[in-house]
Amino acid sequence: MAEVKKEFRVKSGGYDFAFDSKDIRSKDIIRKADDELHILHNNRSVMVRLLDTDAAGKKIKLEVDGERFEVEINDSLDLMLEQMGYSAASSKHIKEIKAPMPGMVINVAVTEGQEVKEGDRILILEAMKMENSIIIHADAKIKRVAVKAGQPVDKGQVLVELE
Amino acid sequence: MKKILVANRGEIALRIMRTIRKMGIKSVAVFSEADRNMPHVLFADEAVCLGPAPSSQSYLNGDKIIAFCKELGVDGIHPGYGFLSENAAFAQKVTDAGITFIGPSPYAMRIMGSKLAAKESVKKYNIPMVPGIDTAIEDVNLAVEIANKIGYPVLIKASAGGGGKGMRVVEKADDMQEQMERAISEAKSSFGDGSVFIEKYVTSPRHIEIQVLADNFGNTVHLFERECSVQRRHQKVVEESPSSVVSDEMRQRMGEAAVLVAKSCNYTSTGTVEFLVDDKLNFYFLEMNTRLQVEHPVTEMITGLDLVEEQIKIARGEKLSFTQDDLRINGHALELRVYAEDPLNNFLPSIGTLTTYQKPQGEGIRVDDGYEEGMTIPIYYDPMIAKLVTHDEDRTKAIQKMLQAIKDYKIEGLTTTMPFGTFVFEHEAFISGKFDTHFVKNYYTPEKIKEKQKANAEIAAIVALKYHLELQKQLTPLENKTTSWKRRLAH
Repeated sequence: MAEVKKEFRVKSGGYDFAFDSKDIRSKDIIRKADDELHILHNNRSVMVRLLDTDAAGKKIKLEVDGERFEVEINDSLDLMLEQMGYSAASSKHIKEIKAPMPGMVINVAVTEGQEVKEGDRILILEAMKMENSIIIHADAKIKRVAVKAGQPVDKGQVLVELE
Repeated sequence: MKKILVANRGEIALRIMRTIRKMGIKSVAVFSEADRNMPHVLFADEAVCLGPAPSSQSYLNGDKIIAFCKELGVDGIHPGYGFLSENAAFAQKVTDAGITFIGPSPYAMRIMGSKLAAKESVKKYNIPMVPGIDTAIEDVNLAVEIANKIGYPVLIKASAGGGGKGMRVVEKADDMQEQMERAISEAKSSFGDGSVFIEKYVTSPRHIEIQVLADNFGNTVHLFERECSVQRRHQKVVEESPSSVVSDEMRQRMGEAAVLVAKSCNYTSTGTVEFLVDDKLNFYFLEMNTRLQVEHPVTEMITGLDLVEEQIKIARGEKLSFTQDDLRINGHALELRVYAEDPLNNFLPSIGTLTTYQKPQGEGIRVDDGYEEGMTIPIYYDPMIAKLVTHDEDRTKAIQKMLQAIKDYKIEGLTTTMPFGTFVFEHEAFISGKFDTHFVKNYYTPEKIKEKQKANAEIAAIVALKYHLELQKQLTPLENKTTSWKRRLAH
C-alpha cells in the first residue's frame, strides 16, 4: 500500500528534529511490550519506555537510557499554524540584565545614567550562601536600576535596564 | 541521654534522628517557617519552629534552641554539619546550660575552627604543611606582596572558613583586590569573622581526608581515608573510600598523622583531618573539620560503623568498643552529592519543585535525602537534595552500581548534578584513578553532556514518532471520540 510522505517536526529535550514518515519507517524498532520499544540506532541498542501520551499521540513522554523526555510532534498543518502565529507576534527588543538565578541582592554598584564599561560589576547577588558578581559584558549606559540591596529576586527577573 | 534535639534540617537531620530512634532515644526536630512539611519534622517525636526562613533567624539562633531544650527536657544536642556545628561559643553555651553537646569540646573546636590556630597547634608534631602565611590579613597591598613572594597562583582562605565559602583562587596581582573583598565579605557573612590568610595554591592537588574517632579516655582511631578530589567551586561532589592512590603504607602514615592532629587539641567525637596530596603523593595538613562530614556515609559503608551512634556513645561517656587493629576496609564505597544545580549552566542553582522524585533501591545502594515528591527546594539553604551512595566488593563494581543507580533515580522539575555524576563515573580519568581537584577544569565541558542528551533526545523523538504513526493507523473514528483526552499507559 503506497502512502504519502508526511513531514514532521519533533521537539524533544529542547532540540528540534525534522523527519518524514519514510525516515521513520526505515528505522529498526521493535515492540517488546505495551509500553516498551527497542531501537537499534547508530549501532546503539536502547530500550525505550513509554510513560504517557495524549489521545492523538502528539505529546508523548518516554524514557531513554534513564533519561525522561517529553516529546511534542507537529505535522505540516501544525507547523503552518505555528508559523502564522509567529509572524503575527511583534518583536520587541529590550536590552536588560536579568538574574541568572534566584537570590538576594547584596549591593548595587551602579546608578541610573551611569556609563559602564565591559567587565564592570553591576551588582552582587547572593545565592546559596555564595556571593556572585554580576558583570556586564559590553560597554553601556544604565537606563534604570530595577532592584535594590536586600531585595530577593527570582531567576530571570530584570536587574538593570540598559540604553 | 533520653531526648536529643537535632539542630539542623534536611537529610542530615533525618539521618541523625534515625540513629537516635534506633538507640531508643526520643528526638526533637527544629524547623524554620519554610520547612514545616520537611521529612525531618514529620519523622521526629517532637518538633519546634525556630522562626522565619533565613537561617540567621532560625537555624543559627542558638539561644532559642537552648531555650527550647530546657522547655522540652532535652539532654543532648546534635548539631549535624553546617549551621551551628562548628560554633565553639554555641557549644560552650550548650555545655553551660547543662546539656550534652554531641561533638568535640569547645576548646578543640576553637583551635581547629581557626585555620591559623590549627597550624600553630600541630606545629610541634612535625606534620607537613603548605607554604603560606600564618597570620590573618585584610590589606590588599600586603597580600600582593606575599603572593609575589610565594608565587601565583595563591589561595585566599577564610580563617574561619569551610565548604568553599570565603575561598578564592587568585591567578594574578590584578585580581587580588576584587577577590580579597569578596573573600572577606563572604567570610564575614558566613562565619562572622572576616580574617583571611594566603597560601600557595598547590597545582594538581588531590584532596584526601582521614576520618578520626576519639573517646574521652584517650583512645583515638582513624577510619581510613576518603578521596574527595572531584569538586566544583571548591566544593565536593563525588567522594569515595578507599582512595585509588593511597597504598597501605601511605594510609598508615596519613592515619598516624591524623591521629596526632586530633591528639594535639585533645579531640573527642568524630572529626576529619583534611590533607592536600601533590602529584608525588606527598601529603600536607590542610585543616581539621570538627563535625560529622557530609560524606561520612562512604566511611560507614566500608567500616560497617554508624558514626552518629559512635558520637552519641562517646558523648554519654562510653569507651570505644574497638581498637585500630580491629578496623578493616570492606570493599569500596562511592558517593554522589545530588545538588539542585544545572551542570549545563556553570552549576548555578536550579530551584524548583520536585514534580517527580523516585529513589533507586537495592543492595549496596543508600540514599540519604530530606525531600519528597512535590516539595520545593527553598533558596535559603544549601541546594543539596540528597547523597547517593553505592557499596560493592571493589571499585569497578561500585562504579557500575552507581551508574545504574543514577539511571534509576528519577528527579523531574529541576536540574541536578546527576548527569555530571554520570560524566564523572564514565570518565577515563576517574576510572583509572588519575585525577586531581582540577577534574572539572581539565575534563568537563557541558557539551559532552549535551551531546549525549541530544543523542537520547533523538532516539526519543524517533520512537515517539513511530508510536504516533502506528497510533494514527490504529485509531478508528469511535476511539477518536473517547472523552478521556489522555491515555495513560501502564508504568
